[in-house]
Amino acid sequence: MINVRGLTLKYPSGKGVFELDFSVKKGQVMGYLGPNGAGKTTTIRALLGFMKPNSGTCSIGGLDCSKSAPEIKKALGYIPGEIAFLDGMNGDEFLKFMHDMRGTKDLSRQKQLLEMFELDPKGKIKKFSKGMKQKLGIITAFMHNPDVLILDEPTSGLDPLMQSRFVELILNEKNKGKTILMSSHVFDEVEKTCDNVLIIKDGRIVKQSDVQTLKNSQRKGFEIKPADAASALIILKAAGFQVSLVAGGILEVFVTGENVDRFIKTAAQFSILNFDIKTQSIEDIFMQFYGKEGK
Amino acid sequence: MSVTLLKTVFKKNWTLLLIFFCILMMYMSVMVSMYDPNDMEALTSMLKLFPANLMKAMGFSKMVTDLTGYLASWLYGLLMLGFPMVYCIILGNRLVAKMVDDSSFAYLLSTPNSRVKIIITQGFYALVSIMLLFAGLFTSGIIICSVMFPGMLDIGAFFRLNLTTMLVNMAVMMISFFFSCLFNDTKLSLGFGSGFPIVFLLMNMLGGVSKDSEILKKLSIYGFYDPVDLVHGSEILGVNLFYIGIIAVLFVSGILIFNKKRLPL
Repeated sequence: MINVRGLTLKYPSGKGVFELDFSVKKGQVMGYLGPNGAGKTTTIRALLGFMKPNSGTCSIGGLDCSKSAPEIKKALGYIPGEIAFLDGMNGDEFLKFMHDMRGTKDLSRQKQLLEMFELDPKGKIKKFSKGMKQKLGIITAFMHNPDVLILDEPTSGLDPLMQSRFVELILNEKNKGKTILMSSHVFDEVEKTCDNVLIIKDGRIVKQSDVQTLKNSQRKGFEIKPADAASALIILKAAGFQVSLVAGGILEVFVTGENVDRFIKTAAQFSILNFDIKTQSIEDIFMQFYGKEGK
Repeated sequence: MSVTLLKTVFKKNWTLLLIFFCILMMYMSVMVSMYDPNDMEALTSMLKLFPANLMKAMGFSKMVTDLTGYLASWLYGLLMLGFPMVYCIILGNRLVAKMVDDSSFAYLLSTPNSRVKIIITQGFYALVSIMLLFAGLFTSGIIICSVMFPGMLDIGAFFRLNLTTMLVNMAVMMISFFFSCLFNDTKLSLGFGSGFPIVFLLMNMLGGVSKDSEILKKLSIYGFYDPVDLVHGSEILGVNLFYIGIIAVLFVSGILIFNKKRLPL
């Protein structure tokens, strides 16, 4: 549905995105991650036709993003990274304005969404809190039932309850067969909603993978305190685990996803006084790519 | 053109138009009330108190005695250029560059409307608002004069005067609008969009001072605009076409540039 081939979009400063290749199939949710300034918003600018790429192509539903921008927008929902509404409008006025600009009349979805996010759109948008503006942006993007959604940090400013409502919304839309590209810094939300992730750094894609594989590839860290640390160390080493002795007779063992079972069975050979799992999350995987020296 | 957008733009900007209309209305009534058909001498002698060059710069050079000529000289010589110019600068910047700068333009482009369609709508409003302004001034001019000096205003000449002045101001509007389309940054859009008109107006004023400096006026956008000659029946078709040409060229190039450029939204 969304197709990006060899996309390069350079700014005069030399920054930009280079040789991007990815696609999001119909019904898929793609998480788009990367540190600030990595090029996420730039990619989205190309997809929305705000900027023409220097080379390469991007298309949505088979239509070229620059040439057929208005056509694409008929079935596209968009949440800008930095939401700026039109000056001096009321919330409900803005929703009506967007309906009119799109030529859509069906207000039922809008009503559902307003209830879901507990938003009262009356009053000047200027006076809205950050979270309320974000909610209004979400409703604007989803209210015309678009087939494709491009969301730039959609939950920034939302409280935890609303963030989980948003996850619900995305899962719902996914079930309806919508195609979603979502940039985010909230790993938890990515983990819950996305089928695939794309990690970009300094304008280039450094990792493209489905979430499950990514999780499996992550080594898990266990801290065990055996009764006899020295012999436990030998047993584990013999079994081929990466193990090291840390302070206080505690062994730190790193195990990849598929070897967890073997590790537990090996550890059963000696007595263990204490057992801890180092807090692990998908966050750690991403962090590898965020840091300066990430591959 | 998008009717929805046009309505919204009108709703957002009509107060600005109203303010400028009221200011110009006020000046117009003051000017009309100062006219004394039996004693233009008094006015002329008052003028002599000021340095002659200053008066010329203000566009009061030609001594006229009829009401229409008086308004052309005293009101349309400078005030009807200066005040609407401020309006043009503010509105021109607001309609495009400001919305690009603060990113709210993204919402317009996230709908199935092309850039060209949106920009034409914005530019159309810019021109129509100037038209409304001068239609309003023309009408109120007639009303004010018929109350204070019934039958003395040459309505045909007054219409010609307002028509050409409207076109001149539309050309100024399009200068600001063009720079608003060209730049993504409000600072640059405002800088160029106000710089050019202000320099042109100064050139126009200086150009009126003496024969030597007349070239300055000719080179400015006001070069073909002479309000007193206008009401006294000089050829206006060529002048009007000249300004219509400028308006068209600036509008079209603004649209083309905006359609092609990268938008940092």
